[in-house]
Parts: sequence; structure tokens; C-alpha cells
Amino acid sequence: MANKPRVAIFDFTGCEGCELSQLNFEDQLLDILAQVDIVEWREAMDDRADEYDIAFVEGALSTPDCIKRIHDIRRRSKVLVALGSCAVDGGVNAIKNLHPIEEVRAEVYGKDQYLFPTLPALPLSAVVKVDHNVRGCPMTQGEFLRLFTALVMGKQFAEPDQSVCVECKLNENECVFERGMICLGPVTRGGCNSQCTNFGQYCIGCRGLVSEPNLAGMAETLASHGLAMDEAWKRLQLYNAYRLQGVRA
Amino acid sequence: MAQSFLEQARVLDFIVHLQTRHTVYAPHRRGQRSFAFEKTSDPAAVELDYPRVLGSVKKYFLPPRETLMDFDLKTDTATAPQVEPVNAVFLGVHSYDLAAVKRLDHNFLTGKPERNYLVRRQGARFIGVSYVPDKFHFAGSVGIDPYDMTGSDVFLTRHPDGWIVDVLTGEGAALLQGFALPPHALPKPKREHFTQHIYVPQDSLGRILEASYDHPVWNETARSCLSCGTCNLVCPTCYCFNVEDQVAVTGDSGSRERSWDGCMLRGFTEVAGGEVFREKSAARQRHRIYRKFKYLSDATGQPWCVGCGRCTAACTAGISIVDIVNRLIRDAEREEKITA
Repeated sequence: MANKPRVAIFDFTGCEGCELSQLNFEDQLLDILAQVDIVEWREAMDDRADEYDIAFVEGALSTPDCIKRIHDIRRRSKVLVALGSCAVDGGVNAIKNLHPIEEVRAEVYGKDQYLFPTLPALPLSAVVKVDHNVRGCPMTQGEFLRLFTALVMGKQFAEPDQSVCVECKLNENECVFERGMICLGPVTRGGCNSQCTNFGQYCIGCRGLVSEPNLAGMAETLASHGLAMDEAWKRLQLYNAYRLQGVRA
Repeated sequence: MAQSFLEQARVLDFIVHLQTRHTVYAPHRRGQRSFAFEKTSDPAAVELDYPRVLGSVKKYFLPPRETLMDFDLKTDTATAPQVEPVNAVFLGVHSYDLAAVKRLDHNFLTGKPERNYLVRRQGARFIGVSYVPDKFHFAGSVGIDPYDMTGSDVFLTRHPDGWIVDVLTGEGAALLQGFALPPHALPKPKREHFTQHIYVPQDSLGRILEASYDHPVWNETARSCLSCGTCNLVCPTCYCFNVEDQVAVTGDSGSRERSWDGCMLRGFTEVAGGEVFREKSAARQRHRIYRKFKYLSDATGQPWCVGCGRCTAACTAGISIVDIVNRLIRDAEREEKITA
């Protein structure tokens, strides 16, 4: 390939677990690197570049500086991809949005709080146009590879929009509700091959909600399986606090 | 054909006998409270008394996921993977799941026959077992009782001391060859009863559904339905699938993959260009019920629901197919009284 796509990788508020997942592509890393030129990646290299064909961005936006930087990245990028729950949905960071911002700031930074301006946590899409999402906490590696391949080949990428239950049933797992567990699979976006329930763990919703979730129905279902209604909404908020703002009266 | 008796103490020997000549698939425990068909290695792990398995034997003929072709873009070639007949004995299948296999056969044979399904279906022999209906089974309402031997090569009817063995086909007789059983001279066990019923003859259900297109039950059910697709995916007669191409990271090879899909999923009704045929969950629910009791039934005279109760048992939102259908029947009867 004469002109390989120039790829850059950035991070905002998050644990850098999604970037680590990229470095963990041990079997595919050489194939990935053969397809593209990585021109900027703080976690793995020193170089900088001015323009990117594809920017992969991890983390939520939670400071005024984040907002400036994401605008800058967007301007330089032809395609911008949100990587992982924080970048796609605000992730667990957005739980702080449920509390008054000054309280959160005081709790975290104490007497130095005036040094650290903070905003409610936002997904990238709240500030700039996002072209694609790779969901999960950390990002689902298989989904990254599918999207990566589609982008390099110039093909359409179909983002999964079915519940986790679909793959869970294809894998013929015993439903974890049968074991008295509480599972967010029915309204959580699949595409992870139900990797938690395959191992007997319940789904905590890290891939975010399907596009048209029946939230009232889900809360009812959780309540009918023994959760108090408040507790049911808290479960749903773990990864979806940003999206659920103002949903429950 | 001949009837004989298999004492409980000889069940393990019987399974070992089958295993010496055949691959045997049978119900095993799965998780804490469930059962699933698996290839048998330890005969003691086989469970012949079970309420229902998670997925039916459908998975062996129409796998949840399968590769339809592998392609190589460098050489511009494609090859279809070799599909093998299952060529195995299915031990411990319930009557409704055998009825479901018959319906799948119809689906895949009608029109242009589906090669992969038909090849896999070859060499499958079935040893049916009776069962005790639980709170979800309603197969009796669709004409399939727990002792129905249709589709079985050998059928085992539960008896307090073991199993009454009916040999129904030549294939069945061959399975028992070399395993001597005494003739059966014990009284037949009492019949088990269903606790769940659909209260209408099948032939009038299509007419009732026809008149229930705008019934409030669809919207009411949609309020609790999570559109997770579970009811489709556990159904032994659902056969819809999706096909997607997967390309390797190198971009020069890949495969065409088929996987189960379901009409309760919004994406299932979305077509190229973004049009969605059944946008509302209520419309999808109606479609599912019509598929089971009207569309295919109108064409074949048989319900496409076999009364296994899986969709109801597996629904985390507690939606019951029996409740939906009975409500439509009750309201239709009430309407008839008013207009009469």
C-alpha cells in the first residue's frame, strides 16, 4: 500500500485500559501495523503529527482542557472513533454527574480543589461528531478489529444493536436470573459474545444500552427479581449515568 | 411394533450399548438449574428425567453459528466448508422437540431445499422419552402429548421401575440389536396432565388472530417486553438467521458467517437503506405470535408452536405466550356473544 492510513490514538479521562487492550493484540498487532502508519500515541511512542486519517480516542471529557483538546483532535481527523465506555457513553465517570459538581470536586481534591477545574463527565459525542464507536469496558477487542478492518478496506461498519441475551442464547448459557443474579443483558448492547455470562457472571452493562431500550420495563424486571426500584436504577446507571440523566422522574 | 421393558438399573448399560456403536447426544445438567443436550462421554451424566433443555436439538442441524463459505481476495476464490451428517443417536428427546424437528424439516425442504440443514439431518436417530409437564408446558393444547411417539425410532415411557420401550422403526430395532430386553407385561402408567392450556381448537385460532390485529394486548405486552430476542432464540421452531461477511485484519481473506436471528429484534426488520418494517416492539410481538399460530399454520394446517413453554420460561419480563393467546381468545368470544 502506497499511502497507508495515518492513525493516532488519544486518551482523556479513563483508565487507559482500552489502549492497553490495543497493545494486547499479540496475535494481530503486526498485521494491524502493516495496514496503517501510527503517527501519534502517547502511551506507546514519542512522535507527534498534524493530521490523522483515523483518530481513536479513549476516555470521557471532564475538564475545560479536555473540551479544547477534543475540538483540536476533531479538526485534524478525517474519522474519529470513540474507544470504550468512557468515550462512547461517559462511562463510570458520569456517576459523578449525579452529585453537585462542587461537592465532587471537594471530595476528590480537598483543599487543592481550586487548582483543578472540573466539568460533568461527557461522552465525546456530546462535544464533537463521533463517526464510530467501539464499546465495552475495556473496549471489546473483536469489535475494534471488525471496525479497524472495515475502515482500512473502506467498507461500512455495522455497529451491533441487539441485546447481550442474543449471544448468550447462541452460547446456550443458563440464564443468570435462574441463579438468582441480576443481569443487565436484556437492555445492554451485545457484540461482546456475552463473555461475562459465559463464565457465570452477570452483565453489568459496560457496552451501554441498545438504541431503543425499554428502561421502565427493565427496571420493573429487576425489581421483580428482588431489587428495590432505587437499587434497580442504580444498577442501570453504573455505565449509563450520562445517557439516563433526566430519564427517571 | 414390539414393546419391552428397560429396568432403571440397566439404563447405564443401555447408554453404554448405544455408545459402543454410535455418537450419543443426550440431556446433561447445565449450570445450576438447567439442562442441555451434549455429546455423551460419561453415561452417568445423562439425565432422562428433565423438564426441558435450554436449546432444542435444532442446534445440531441448524447450528447457532456456522461458516457458509471462506473466501480469499488475493486469488478471488471461495470455498464452502464440508458439511457432515450428524450421524448420531439423540437419546431423551421430548415429543414437542421431535414435532419441532418435523416443522424445521418442512421449512428447509419447501421451495429451494437448504443443503447444509439437510446434510446435517442425515443419520439422526431419535430415542424419545416421556416427561411430566411443568408449569410452562402446554404441548397438549397443540396436540402433542408427553407420550406422543411421532418422530421417534425408539420411545421410552416413564414407569416407576424403569422405562417401557417401544420400538417404532427399523432404525430403532437396529439400535437395540444386541441388547436383550424382556417383553413388557406391566400396566401402563397413568397419563400426566398439563397445567397450562390454550383454550381453543387450533383451526379457529388463525381466524381469531386475524381479527386481533389491533388488539390492545400488543401494546400492553410491549410495555414490559425488553426486545431482547430471547423468546425467538430459545424457540425450537424459529429458524431465521442473519448472514455477515467477516474479513481478516489483513484485509485479503475472510468468511461468510450465518447466525441465528429473531423477529423480536429491531435490527432483524431493518433492511438496506435503513427502512425498518416493524419499528414498534408491539408490532414485532404480534408478528411472533402470528408466525406461530397463523401464517405458517394457514399454509400447513399445523401450529408452528409446539407448546414447549421455553419462550415463557426464559422471558425475564415474565411475558407468557399462553396468556397472550388466551386473552385474544377470551376477547374474541366475548365479542361474538355481543354481536350474536
